[in-house]
Amino acid sequence: MNFSVLSSQFWSLCLQGVALGFIYVLISLGYTMVYGVLRLINFANSEVVMMGTFATVVAEVAILKNVSTSDPLHGFRLVYTLVFALVFSSLICGLLGVLVELVAYRRLRALGTNRLASLISAIAVSIVLSEAARIYTHSAPVTAPRLLEKWSFGEIGGANFRVDTVMIILAGSIIFFALDRFVNRSRLGKAIRAVSMSEENSKLMGINLNRVISLTFFIGGLTTGAAAFFYTTVYETTQFNVGFNLGLAAFTAAVLGGIGNLRGAFYGGIFLGVLEQFASAILGSQWKSVTVFLVLVLVLLIKPSGIFGEAVQQTRT
Amino acid sequence: MLNIRDKGAAIWENWNRTKRVTFVLIVITIVAFLPYAGTFPATSFLNTPITSYQAVLVYPIAMFVLMALGLNIVVGKSGLLDLGYVAFFAIGAYTMGILGTMTGLNTWEILPIGIALAMLAGLILGLPALRLRGDYLAIVTLGFGEIVRIIALNLTQTGGPNGVVGIPNPPPIFGEKFGLDDHAGYFWVIFVMILLVIWMVRRFTIRRPGRAWEAIRQDEDVAALMGVNLLVYKLWSFSIGAAIGGAAGVIYASKVMFIAPDMFTFNVSVLILACVVFGGMGNMWGVILGACILAYLPERIRFISNSRQLVFGLVLLVIMNIRPDGLLPRKKREKIKQKEAK
Amino acid sequence: MNKKIQRSLAVASAATLVFGVSAVSSAMAAPKTVYLAFQAPLTGPNALTGQDELTGAKFALSEYNATNPAIKVELVLADDQGDATVAASVAPGIASNKTIIGLIGPAYSGATQASLPAYKAAGLPLISMSATRVSLTDPKAPVNGFPIFKRVVANDKFQGPALVRYATKGIATPKVYLVDDVSAYGAGLAEYAKKTITSAMTAGKDSVPVNTSDYTSVVAKVKASGANVVIYCGYAPDAAKFVKALRDGGYTGVFASGDGTLKADYPVNAGKAAAEGSRLTAADVPFENLVTAAQMTAFTKLTGVKVPGTYVTSTYNATNIYLACIKQGKTTRAGIQNCITTGSFKGVAGDTIKFDRYGDIIGGAAVGAFVIKDGKISYVGVA
Repeated sequence: MNFSVLSSQFWSLCLQGVALGFIYVLISLGYTMVYGVLRLINFANSEVVMMGTFATVVAEVAILKNVSTSDPLHGFRLVYTLVFALVFSSLICGLLGVLVELVAYRRLRALGTNRLASLISAIAVSIVLSEAARIYTHSAPVTAPRLLEKWSFGEIGGANFRVDTVMIILAGSIIFFALDRFVNRSRLGKAIRAVSMSEENSKLMGINLNRVISLTFFIGGLTTGAAAFFYTTVYETTQFNVGFNLGLAAFTAAVLGGIGNLRGAFYGGIFLGVLEQFASAILGSQWKSVTVFLVLVLVLLIKPSGIFGEAVQQTRT
Repeated sequence: MLNIRDKGAAIWENWNRTKRVTFVLIVITIVAFLPYAGTFPATSFLNTPITSYQAVLVYPIAMFVLMALGLNIVVGKSGLLDLGYVAFFAIGAYTMGILGTMTGLNTWEILPIGIALAMLAGLILGLPALRLRGDYLAIVTLGFGEIVRIIALNLTQTGGPNGVVGIPNPPPIFGEKFGLDDHAGYFWVIFVMILLVIWMVRRFTIRRPGRAWEAIRQDEDVAALMGVNLLVYKLWSFSIGAAIGGAAGVIYASKVMFIAPDMFTFNVSVLILACVVFGGMGNMWGVILGACILAYLPERIRFISNSRQLVFGLVLLVIMNIRPDGLLPRKKREKIKQKEAK
Repeated sequence: MNKKIQRSLAVASAATLVFGVSAVSSAMAAPKTVYLAFQAPLTGPNALTGQDELTGAKFALSEYNATNPAIKVELVLADDQGDATVAASVAPGIASNKTIIGLIGPAYSGATQASLPAYKAAGLPLISMSATRVSLTDPKAPVNGFPIFKRVVANDKFQGPALVRYATKGIATPKVYLVDDVSAYGAGLAEYAKKTITSAMTAGKDSVPVNTSDYTSVVAKVKASGANVVIYCGYAPDAAKFVKALRDGGYTGVFASGDGTLKADYPVNAGKAAAEGSRLTAADVPFENLVTAAQMTAFTKLTGVKVPGTYVTSTYNATNIYLACIKQGKTTRAGIQNCITTGSFKGVAGDTIKFDRYGDIIGGAAVGAFVIKDGKISYVGVA
């Protein structure tokens, strides 16, 4: 136990926690969207994140030819590199999400089998993705170039508002609220919600089920890809095994907030990010995951469907 | 599609008691001689490169079959998704490791203690967790599996990351020694345990607990309405599964003589679950077949060394798409009921 | 190591795995060839370590076989992925292959610990090039490697204090923050490093599991503690992430780490700016500093590697000890065992290698000090 760190670093931990939380939020959307529609854990999402981090590196290094790990970019070049890498990573992950659905879920869904079969086939896809990445990279970590000069907007109460921290929080919020509006307002969003309320009825209403499900995976992949981009930009390194921990944390965040519920994923992700920071600062980093799971069990015991509950329409079965 | 499961069941139903007993005895004899299959020319194709065939037969094959049967009670019979089964394996292994090195107790004396502790852990986890539904249970069990590993990693009593070394081998029974190279002995011990589990599960299935589990699996609300005490039967299923995992852990620790937290990662839980689903959830024979294949395959294809996990993943994906109910699914009749219940 | 050579090595090792078994059985007829096993992670997340070390063993063998000796020696590759579970299932297979008369390795301490029971039962001599865990040669440990285990590398009891010494060198009032990665290696090294850090020097301690991506909370703690020396006990990928987070977080003090971090990809992954000035130690002196230019050319020609990786020196030494014994006509496990235990050998640095009863080099092996300069590892001297 070490509470002394709180005296000088309290706000710093909060800020870093929120920034980390936004990465979790964006990944957990990949779980929560799919869960809302199919009521299945999208187990391969963790490896989609991993592929997204590599896609970001490919965009930055192979396509835009930035190789320096110490000289940041400036001006227009910085902006278009960031935007291009973000879009590239998101698109790759979105398409990968659709592909995952095609090979791991679609046929099994058509056969109407038990839910565990698709869980295992999704796990199989994760094995294939992470092993392919491992073999291709020879297990070695891959470094992303330094894009952002890590200058600071200033400090408030010891919290350092560094440019990458601010970028994640701003861009993460924009992406989240855009998605929230899309799901709640647009025609396609309504179709997604209709399918999550009742598959059969939405079929009757003329909704193309397969297309809506593909769309859900695509959107989940988009946000996951964005998260992968932010992850790579901040930590500047990736490896074939980054997916597991990130995916597990994001899935926990989704459950904490109430899986299937977009806003639940938002608050769950940020809560988890902050919790992790404080747990590792006070108890020691090795107890971080234990603390997280104990909190999760407590929350589930008190509120069995997460802090914000599942979306009302999903309390069927 | 060819339904071996139903054909097999039909043949079995038509046999009388003598035929059944002879058949079972023949199968037991054949399996008991498996450790020597590698030395006969006709069956020497079974040999595995690098690792010795007899060692592979004990771990992972026999051990996976035992654990998959245990997990099948939880996942297959009562439909509770447990993603942290490795926790019970770890608890059994650490019980053996700590008691075996600290006290003078031998493996056979520690075995019941390991089983009891694993059951206790199952109860402690189950009491809060089994009130949760479906996927919430999955994440809590997953978390539990990780917690057990992390605690073992961080406590000095469990040796921290170094684990426990110098765990004694079991003392001989009936003159059969259990040295490091006596793989056959371990195989027979685990085989006897597998037979016991099969017998136990068969007894359960046709009695009250089996019916209760079946009801819970098909529809919890209906089961509760019909007067099945959900929590009690779920706890039963959970702790019996845990006990089998614990027993496997005790034998494993006592065979490899060294355990470390790295041996009890989430991957093990996933592999065992894959055995259950791949083979055919709920059907013991399918689960056994699935465990044999998934345990043996990566060892047999060790020659493609670097990409064997990739091939493993592809095989798993293809088979799940072709036979989503597993290689040997449970009875058709039950499946139709399951569909109606949806 | 460049990709091409890695790929060809992977093919070679795969070929050995397939044909190793059959080649070994035909060896019975030709007693002029004996086999040495090489156990290290050749695939998996730690493959780089094993592939680096393998070049040392191959080079030593090619030098030996080029002299047209009466007894030819070949390598059998045993890939344990640096993983204890895999090692426990690979070891019995190697142990039961009686044509293998000695084993170079295992590379990792955990894998060694898991393999020991099988090798002890079979009486197979082991000379490890990089297993530094103290308990392996500690007479008081519940299970040590006696009598078969030897190592040509300084154990953590030497490396831990050397690391602290080097990290705090030239700093008037060092305040040390010690971080380990909760792996058997990292926690073990940290334990022995901690023993030499006086309480006046202690700023704090944390344990961050391998594969953690976010180090900001550790950075916050380091800054709150006012430390000016951070010692990390763990492997290169995590060290790279940690040092980057420290520098980006505004920490300006010393960053030091052990042999796990001494990998060519560490400065690349951490970025030139962040890694600059990192102080590293390893129970290893770079191979290219010890051999002649002609040998270096031959090494590059054989392996395709221009700059030898970590522990090539010790692997080369370990292999040469076996070869020296084989030259004396020892071709059985017992003969080799006896030869290693009683003999005295010459290391590549011209040093004399003689093992004590429990398997460490008498007088201790050298611990080298390194610093990251201009994005490259450069050798400073003995720490």
